[in-house]
Amino acid sequence: MIDLIPGISSTTTALSAERTRLDVIGENIANANVTRGEDGKPYQRKTVVFETALQQAVNGGPSMTSLQGIKIEKDQRPFPKIHKPGDPDADANGDVSMPNVNIHEEMADLIAATRAFEANLAVARNAKTLAMQTLAIGKR
Amino acid sequence: MFPISAIAGSGISAPGLQPGMGAALPQLPMGEAGTFPIDLGKATGIGMPDSTSGVSHPSFHPGITGTQPSDDAFSKTLNNFVQEVNSKQAAAGDAVSRLQSGGDVSLHQAVIAMEEANVSFQLMVEVRNKLLEGYQEIMRMQI
Repeated sequence: MIDLIPGISSTTTALSAERTRLDVIGENIANANVTRGEDGKPYQRKTVVFETALQQAVNGGPSMTSLQGIKIEKDQRPFPKIHKPGDPDADANGDVSMPNVNIHEEMADLIAATRAFEANLAVARNAKTLAMQTLAIGKR
Repeated sequence: MFPISAIAGSGISAPGLQPGMGAALPQLPMGEAGTFPIDLGKATGIGMPDSTSGVSHPSFHPGITGTQPSDDAFSKTLNNFVQEVNSKQAAAGDAVSRLQSGGDVSLHQAVIAMEEANVSFQLMVEVRNKLLEGYQEIMRMQI
């Protein structure tokens, strides 16, 4: 007996993926001003890459494309420099390297990830309602 | 099984029951009429006459064994079904406890595990209702 609620396995992996994306966005925003992270360099923005793989057809159903890997990679864009001569992290020219986190980009990503999460929640909720209504066929 | 053979054993002719059917059902000794010491340990198993204990049980046709269907396909199916429902419930409880203590299970995974357990339990209840309905339908049949 695999999934009684239709499509719940792909929805669960999608929810996990969107949650990881939300975690990463939260981390990026929290560290947006960290000029000295580990190894002395400013915080490097992280991005999430989703990989899908084709799953073999289960129980005669259609073969599903579902999430297989969630990879967190570092954004390789250069660090912007701000001129702040008195800062302890300033280099010889008085420039401070800031993290390559663009707050506006992060906010847009946050909205997209939130909507995706909510969409998957709606799928899960509807699927469960359908399953319960199916069971009610036999009720008097 | 018990009532039919007991009636035949005491000599009352039950309509529709012919002594010629299969082996002859033995008559109970009249001295013991009215007392049917039924050994409950044997009641569910094969009803063989227990001649060694000096107590006569209502004996059965050897062909009608009334054994428990231990390798019956349907009871196996039901058993497997109940086991799976139980495992889903256990998985849901396990997910919730891991969420509260460790945290390698995320919130939506625990919630979805609980919903799966709920749906499978409802399915089991519906199966039980259908089986009961069928049983009652059969019991309502006029002989």
